[in-house]
Amino acid sequence: TGQLASNQLTSKAGLEGILLSSYAQLNGRGFSRATSSYNWVRGSVSGGEANKGSNSGDGGGNTNFSTFQRYEILPTNGDINDKWRGMYEGISRANAVLRTLPSASADVSDADKKRLAAEARFLRGHYYFELKRSFNMVPYIDETLDYGTGIELVKNDVDIWPKIEEDFKFAQDNLPETQGAAGRANKWAATAYLAKTYLYQKKYTAAKPLFDQVIANGKTTNGKKYGLVANYTDVFNAAKDNSEESVFAIQAAVNTGDVANSAQELDLNFPYNTGSNGPAGCCGFFAPSFELANSFRVNANGLPLLDGSYNSGANQLKNDQGIDSKAAFTPDAGPVDPRLDWSIGRRGIPYLDWMVHPGLDWIRDQSYAGPFSPKKFVFYRSQDKSLTDGSSWTDGYSAINYNIIRYADVLLMAAEAEIEAGSLEVARGYINQVRTRAANADAWVKTSDGKNAANYVISNYTTPFASKDDALAAVRFERKLELSGEGHRFYDLVRWGIAAPVLNAFLSYESQKLPLGYSGAKFTAGKDEYFPIPQVQMDLQKGIFKQNPGY
Amino acid sequence: QDRRLTGKITGVDGPVPGANVVLKGTQTGTATDADGNYALNIRGASPVLVISAIGFKTLEVAVGNRTSVDVKLEDDATALSEVVVTGYSTENRRDVTGAVSTVKPAQLKVVPSTNVEQQLQGRVAGVTVITNGQPGTTSQVRVRGFGSFGGNQPLYVVDGVPTQSIQYIAPDDIESTTVLKDAASASVYGARAASGVIVLTTKKGQRRAQKLSISYDGLYGVTDPGHGQKILTPQEQADWTWQARKNDIFQAGGTVGPTSFTGIANGQYGSGQTPVLPDYLLVGNQTGVSASAVNLEAERAKYNINPANGAIYNVIPANKAGTDWYGAITRVAPLMRHTLGFSGGTESSRFYLSLGMQKQAGIITYNDFSRYTLRVNTEFDITKKLRFGENVQLAYVSATGLQGSTGSTLGNGTNNNSSVAADENDILLAFRQAPIIPVYNAFGGYAGTAASGFNNARNPVANRIGAKDNINYNLIAFGNAYLEYDVIPALTLRSSLGGTYFSNYNNAYNRSQYENSENNTNYVYNESSNVGLAWTFTNTAQYKQKFGIHDVSVLAGIEALNTGSGRGISGSGLNPFTTDPNYVTIGTTTPGATRSVNSYYGKGNNFYSLFAQARYTFNDKYILTGVVRRDGSSQFGSQNRYGVFPAVSAAWRLSSEDFMKNLPWVSDLKVRGGYGLMGNSNYLSSTNQYNLFGSNAGNSYDITGANTSVQAGYYRSQIGNAAAKWETSITSNVGIDGAFFNNKLEVVLDFWQKDTKDLLYPLALPGVVGVRANAPYVNVASMRNKGIDLLITTRGNVVGDLGYEVTAVGSILDNKITAIAPSVPYFTANGQRLSSPVVRNQPGHDLSSFYGYNVIGLFNSKAEVDGAPTQPGAAPGRFRYQDINGDGKIDDADRTFLGSPIPKFTGSLTLTLKYKGFDLNTQVYASLGNKIFNNSKWYTDFYPSFPGAAVSQRVKDSWLPTHTDTKVPIFENTSNFSTNTESNSYYVENGSYGRMQYLTLGYTFPASVLNRANLSRLRLSLSATNLFTITKYSGLDPAVGGSADQNFGIDIGNYPVTRGYNVGLSFGF
Repeated sequence: TGQLASNQLTSKAGLEGILLSSYAQLNGRGFSRATSSYNWVRGSVSGGEANKGSNSGDGGGNTNFSTFQRYEILPTNGDINDKWRGMYEGISRANAVLRTLPSASADVSDADKKRLAAEARFLRGHYYFELKRSFNMVPYIDETLDYGTGIELVKNDVDIWPKIEEDFKFAQDNLPETQGAAGRANKWAATAYLAKTYLYQKKYTAAKPLFDQVIANGKTTNGKKYGLVANYTDVFNAAKDNSEESVFAIQAAVNTGDVANSAQELDLNFPYNTGSNGPAGCCGFFAPSFELANSFRVNANGLPLLDGSYNSGANQLKNDQGIDSKAAFTPDAGPVDPRLDWSIGRRGIPYLDWMVHPGLDWIRDQSYAGPFSPKKFVFYRSQDKSLTDGSSWTDGYSAINYNIIRYADVLLMAAEAEIEAGSLEVARGYINQVRTRAANADAWVKTSDGKNAANYVISNYTTPFASKDDALAAVRFERKLELSGEGHRFYDLVRWGIAAPVLNAFLSYESQKLPLGYSGAKFTAGKDEYFPIPQVQMDLQKGIFKQNPGY
Repeated sequence: QDRRLTGKITGVDGPVPGANVVLKGTQTGTATDADGNYALNIRGASPVLVISAIGFKTLEVAVGNRTSVDVKLEDDATALSEVVVTGYSTENRRDVTGAVSTVKPAQLKVVPSTNVEQQLQGRVAGVTVITNGQPGTTSQVRVRGFGSFGGNQPLYVVDGVPTQSIQYIAPDDIESTTVLKDAASASVYGARAASGVIVLTTKKGQRRAQKLSISYDGLYGVTDPGHGQKILTPQEQADWTWQARKNDIFQAGGTVGPTSFTGIANGQYGSGQTPVLPDYLLVGNQTGVSASAVNLEAERAKYNINPANGAIYNVIPANKAGTDWYGAITRVAPLMRHTLGFSGGTESSRFYLSLGMQKQAGIITYNDFSRYTLRVNTEFDITKKLRFGENVQLAYVSATGLQGSTGSTLGNGTNNNSSVAADENDILLAFRQAPIIPVYNAFGGYAGTAASGFNNARNPVANRIGAKDNINYNLIAFGNAYLEYDVIPALTLRSSLGGTYFSNYNNAYNRSQYENSENNTNYVYNESSNVGLAWTFTNTAQYKQKFGIHDVSVLAGIEALNTGSGRGISGSGLNPFTTDPNYVTIGTTTPGATRSVNSYYGKGNNFYSLFAQARYTFNDKYILTGVVRRDGSSQFGSQNRYGVFPAVSAAWRLSSEDFMKNLPWVSDLKVRGGYGLMGNSNYLSSTNQYNLFGSNAGNSYDITGANTSVQAGYYRSQIGNAAAKWETSITSNVGIDGAFFNNKLEVVLDFWQKDTKDLLYPLALPGVVGVRANAPYVNVASMRNKGIDLLITTRGNVVGDLGYEVTAVGSILDNKITAIAPSVPYFTANGQRLSSPVVRNQPGHDLSSFYGYNVIGLFNSKAEVDGAPTQPGAAPGRFRYQDINGDGKIDDADRTFLGSPIPKFTGSLTLTLKYKGFDLNTQVYASLGNKIFNNSKWYTDFYPSFPGAAVSQRVKDSWLPTHTDTKVPIFENTSNFSTNTESNSYYVENGSYGRMQYLTLGYTFPASVLNRANLSRLRLSLSATNLFTITKYSGLDPAVGGSADQNFGIDIGNYPVTRGYNVGLSFGF
């Protein structure tokens, strides 16, 4: 009946197949849109980079993403249960590889066994990393435990960071540098991820040498030396997937018989009701925040306003909130970082190769979601129906990869490690590498007459940082600008220990702009850094789990 | 020595078709044909015929040495003496010790529905039929409650062959319907009987030399869709949109200013202090345009709805009068049914052949059902003792334009669940699409929410028309062939081989859309088909003999069957060169990666069974029956494969005792009781015992980064449980059958209880295990159903020739889950769009109970909010929830049970009046004590659900600071815990209803007229169905189905049962 018994999967092809199914869980398919390793809901919406979008009541399934932007997540929330279940699904598949390997048939060479084990442990490390930063205390299940052998008795009373490190170390030691298939994890992805794991634990001295190696010698699985692509937007272009900037990515594919293989978790994240002049036309989710838009304001020298003054007075980015598409509107003329218009769709600026963003007409409920549209991870008109999947209810299933780690991220993480080690100048160099790429004026958004679409100004940090704090402020802000909307911000704020002040400041600003979405919301320190352990799992495992504080 | 006996059975109104003529003390018997004629081989020294027919008094006639016996039956005979067909055997109602109900075929036929399942509603005490008005839908028939979390459909046995659906049976072919409700009567079917057994037999011919008799039954009628829900007019909706903004400002503590109304509804109503309806909703990319700004002829040149010709340019005028979207997708729907029957026979053979057709249009456009049937039943004597017969039905059943999942077809599943009520379908869209949007744009194309400001409903008319060429049909061959051999007169051996061959074909053209805000701009073509075969091989021996005052009947049998093995294939593709349906095939869609194909197969479940039944009757007073069946199923691992299901029952006929003889008003009185076990494995897949890995497109991965292809992944798809065993129901039943006052009053009363133990439940897997694997089904849960079934019939003459018969059928049902699993306190099911689950299945509560927050009122002021327990999002005009646990805050621990979708009482009252040739029939059906979760209110009662979509008239009664005496919450643009995101009691409504199911007036022409026309029968009838419904339910119709058995009674887009009118004609010659 089209099913297999596990003893039919001991061949090389069988083991590869089990491993692939573990890769397949990277995008959280079959669970919620908030399950994906992209984390657009938790990382970016909870991080204040965007609101849920759409209109107030449109939740995205039998869930309610607005609880993520208001920090009102209850243990019964379905999305957090899906995050839990989705990540453990990936783990169970990785464990299935490790469990089957000892009985591998003769056609599996020792080298294959080593590699399969290393890839499986890399993926397991990834899924546990996701669980760790989402829930903090979670039960650790390895391949020795399965259904019927005590798996449900494992408590969440041990910090699993050491286990995650072990998996990435094993992967680093046993994975090849390059592999035939571009989507596979390689040695350098494992090294970068191990360094990231150290960074999350503030083990900067352990992280720094690993970043040094990655920057000096790292290469992609398909053999390209790590680097920044010349055009920032190529990072978000399906046709340019697996570039030299891609350290480890979720591979998205379309027209494969199931939209689960596409960037399926982003299917709602397009401007609304665009007709054939815009992409997909649905559903207006993931609307960038006013606060994020303002952050792209730069001073005359093209440097960001690190003092936070971008949220006050004329520094605020001019927008078309409350203005009809028929009424005249001139976009902001002040100096802005060019990454603004690669990251945020706004009225008056060309929206990729579709048309000039018309404002309100593409917004579903401005009073709830604000005037902005998502722009990264939106496909081009030229790719419509070739790099999108039309077999389901919306056209919004694209083939754009999401980079779980990209090289710009590596540089900025390395800069943090360098700053902690006291080498501010090395850090400044890394930050400037990222800024230099953004300064490539050829790639800036242009109007139809070839002129820059806005007053783009960007320059490098030309003078040494005055202090470690200044350096930290610069690198943290650079992460916000460079990686906005990519699901990192919330986790960054938490690991930096500044989530409560930053997010409460964000709420007090944003709730003036969008009272319907934000008024009354509050971030509670000591509680909202982590999800609660899902109530369903507490119940299913009969109270062996300790609930997170505050819930 | 056998000899031939013929005759004619008549009643007051002429010939009695279908009367049972049995040689007393044997099982030799026959039934009369359409003209009341019979022929029978008789034997013995002093043969006596027992003649019984529904609606007539049973008569015993000594034959003597006559060769022809004509009998006139007395009317008003008691139903307690009818013959009951139980599939493996036939019994006289007098001898029945279990809980058995029958339905007269005439009662079934009066309901003009497409399938027999729907016709059973309200007919049998203890049978619940959950259905809706969609022709071709699958109904949930439940006998005596819900014994399991799935697979509760009864076993159907048609002419001795078990089957899972009776969708393909033409109602006019049915001769008898018997419902076996308790273990005493049903456990002869053992493991498959736990949910009751419905036994149908089809019409037979007569074994005697005769001329061909022909009968015709016809029905013509229409169904009226009635009216939709009450929706705000365009002006009212605009006004309330403004009011929502005012309410937002009120909640924020602000004041209305000159710019307060900017940006609402994308500017369609302007931004002034009062909204203004626009003349045009969309002109190209301009919204909210006045007529003076539009030059229609200039726009016609720019108009384009074909994306191949460039960007879409739609021109949509406003329909200020308001579009009746429900009216636009419904129609007065015609139906007709014709059945032509031929029956006849010779001294050694008999046959019945019928041709039937039914065409029924749904009240929703392009929802059509048709069924064409051919039935051939024959029997031949090979020798005097050896007979060969067959019953075969061929059917073509087509149901197109169906909404919702319609349940499994034959063989490919075990759970006949449909869920049209729970889907976001075109009926819901008709209540969500704003009335200001017209159906068509200015130039004849479609209009829709592409005109921004009205959110995301799709044009339901376009959806319906887009589905008009879709094809869906089943071809079914069903039947059996058998040999019967009379070893001695009292002992008959029978061997029957039966089966079902089924094939399904369907295709669907999904148009590319341009008129909506959310369009799928691809044209998607799907096509699929499947075939399968189920078979049953049954061998029985039956012995019936009377020794003086001792009457013995023994049945033993052996049966093997397969529930259906089959294969299927499906494919899809996108964007063919032209969308002409005559052109489109999978092969003409765009070649390459966008085409996909799938196939599958299933092996079905094998059963092997031994069974025996024995009955002993002493002196017509004491009856003792024992049944035992041993079943084995391939669904189970070897250690638990077999289950044994015994039952015993006994009856005492008090009326045969001497001390009762001096109570002349007691015509017949029998007390009976039974106890026994029945099994069930319907809920279990055929592979439950195995650990499995699977592979499919959705679990593959693009590891090479190719962007348009994937490599297969293998994931654990099932964790098996080799130790699973049979679910067992333990049933006990105590009842009385009584007839009083010379049979003027009959009472059948049963008290019953059914405890299902070892209930199979898919153990919820802890997340750490990896939940993409199907959980093993484990025997952990239990459920209890108990109830009372009552049937009362009284009949007589009011005056002179005016006769009446009144039948009341009632059943009380109490369902409780008694255990789920040690580790599973409950499990839930979701409605649509709500953050918290709507249904909670929990021990101590009814199956599929609604769960959520209990609304105790609306907050009337800020002070009231401050004084109340802390509740997220609380504000004036919003829901105030009950603090169930009294801890001073409202959180998910404060949810509670809000009601059950299971009616506590269902019943009907049927009245028949007869005056000479006229008869008047009517039935009132009542379903009481259940709740409905009206999920559709989420869409129509709350502004922020989808702002701009249509709004219910209920909102006019919504909370305002100046209007606080209401239950409808404030209309505002805030979606949170205290407004619309949670499952709460606002959605839960009383689902009780009473409905006049039909009123039929018939006239049967008298024999004197018929003889002149050479007719044997002629009847005309007029009827109206679903004349009125009494209910407090605010949705379209309180008959809300759903996915029994875990998740039903949730109304999102329920297909209503509406009024119809029919004319019937039948004649025979």
